[in-house]
Amino acid sequence: MFCVNCGNILVEGQNFCRNCGNPVKRPGAAGQAAAYPAQAAAVLPQVPAPPPQAPMQASAPQPARSAMPGGRCSWCGSDVFAGQSTCPRCGAALDHPPAVTAGGWTELPGRKDMTKLQIGNSSCQIEGLYVPVADMNLAAGDSVYFTHHVLLWKDPQVNVTTMPLKGGFKRLLAGMPLIMTQAQGPGHIAFSKDDPGELIPVALQPGQSIDVREHMLLAATSNVTYDWFSTNVYFETRNGDEREVFHPVGAFMDRFSASTPGLLLLHAGGNVFIRQLAPGQTVLVKPTALVFKDPTVDMNLHFEHPRTNFVTWGRWSNMYFWLRLTGPGRVAIQSVFPQIEGEARNITGWSDATEARW
Amino acid sequence: MTDAAQGIAAEPFERIQCQWCQSMNEKAALACRACGAPLDIRNLVSESGWREAPRIRDMTEIHFSSSTCQVEGEIVPAAEINLGAGDSVFFEHHVMLWKEERVGMSLMQLSGGMKRAFAGMPFLISVATGAGRIAFSRDATGELVVLPLHPGMELDVREHAFLLASHQIGYSFIRVKGLTNILFGGQGMYMDRFVTTSTPGLLILHGYGNVFERRLKEGESIMVEPGAFLYKDSSVTMNVEFQKLGTGFFGGTNMSLARMTGPGRIGIQSMYVHHHTE
Repeated sequence: MFCVNCGNILVEGQNFCRNCGNPVKRPGAAGQAAAYPAQAAAVLPQVPAPPPQAPMQASAPQPARSAMPGGRCSWCGSDVFAGQSTCPRCGAALDHPPAVTAGGWTELPGRKDMTKLQIGNSSCQIEGLYVPVADMNLAAGDSVYFTHHVLLWKDPQVNVTTMPLKGGFKRLLAGMPLIMTQAQGPGHIAFSKDDPGELIPVALQPGQSIDVREHMLLAATSNVTYDWFSTNVYFETRNGDEREVFHPVGAFMDRFSASTPGLLLLHAGGNVFIRQLAPGQTVLVKPTALVFKDPTVDMNLHFEHPRTNFVTWGRWSNMYFWLRLTGPGRVAIQSVFPQIEGEARNITGWSDATEARW
Repeated sequence: MTDAAQGIAAEPFERIQCQWCQSMNEKAALACRACGAPLDIRNLVSESGWREAPRIRDMTEIHFSSSTCQVEGEIVPAAEINLGAGDSVFFEHHVMLWKEERVGMSLMQLSGGMKRAFAGMPFLISVATGAGRIAFSRDATGELVVLPLHPGMELDVREHAFLLASHQIGYSFIRVKGLTNILFGGQGMYMDRFVTTSTPGLLILHGYGNVFERRLKEGESIMVEPGAFLYKDSSVTMNVEFQKLGTGFFGGTNMSLARMTGPGRIGIQSMYVHHHTE
């Protein structure tokens, strides 16, 4: 049974949800209550909590004054103390349930303006709602790295240097930012991207990795390892003798991992929606809308087009171009996405793809 | 109007001060008369000392001399002005949204305009004179920053960032000094300078994204992305400095940041579009 308010799994015999404190209504008690399990099932997929580490009772004795017991942030899985209205790791508002669409996508959690995140000895405050700014207060010895054109302001004493990147030359050829810049505390440094959209604080748990579309990174704490891999998602177009290769999700994808709790700040266009895919569950998304995914999620191209007699030239102009994502794991999409380059051309080859005709 | 004046006279202490522009308001007011900032919401100040420009509620009315200005919309807000007879506002090109036919238009006479035209700036400043309604907006998501200017204030604004100003405000522009500042300052050769005379006036800027303001103490300085600079008190100095970044590949690259040194206020925008002047 699930909580009708937040989707948390309820233990038999409980009268209140342990996560949000909502009173438990048992089906059968009223005619209306019978509908709750179905509703709750739709809410369930939003919980992206990674496997539990230490039981939270060990670290935090429950304060008696609070009506709300401690628990986990349903967004990032961090332990939350009783009475906290904002997750200290990822900034998600905890005092109201996440907004989940009927289709199973959870909207990026509402964040209060000026929300403060704690990361080791340093903190990060997220300011503004149109084009949010991440204002890092770095403790001595702490550092962050960031891409080009995101530095908004800094204290004069914060030292900025370049961070060496392995395989940089290959990256340069693929059009990725070669230069990663590093800022050393103590002091304040703030980042923003010149696009209206969402700032996504991703609190990485120890041992957790996440795959992020290129150019989404705003900044990350230095204990977050930055690596990349070839997406192997491409298609080839041909016009006479001229061939071109396009990568609708980018030739490379960034992979961020953390061995100690780390903070990753991403910026996506428009609104951001996230869902948890069950093992084997698939969803088709616009390739350019993908923001991030868990490494366990597989992706491949997927074509949908009508049946036609003119197979060779009737085909591609009527085609729908999808990225097929297969669980288990989380996937996130943005509502502002660019057009796929090369989509309407004569496509002659592609990476591993599935197809549907109607 | 007279009711309000009497009320203030009768109970001089029953007033609240707007945290954004320091104007005095009646105790029951929900939004500041002079700048539109909500009065029932506390100032949002980050721990590093930046305060967020207030989010003006949809349809809030602002008053200046015998005119009113209503701020409409929230994604790309428009400023709709009901000009009293004899009042006027001035503005740059491409910001006028609509107007009533009876609103008179003229050009402001400026010295040095030709020089500035060569530098790629429109030197035409238009003036609209009441009575009548006229509305302004800019073509990008962002915020309207309302800065009521009290007598004796002097404010420098990034070029093309001002939406409109009332006629009580003196307008001029200053050349950004130093070649480095012009080439790498990210904001061209000129800054607009607004000076108030003896009567208060209204200045409305448009900031891209969110706007933040901070007051620097004497000698205190901060490094700002040049494209993010929006406005400053004329007492704040700006100097572009380079940060050398070695890459090991092609001998390195440069990053320019503007060092702003107090005393005074500085305003920045979070979406630093390098518009027009690039």
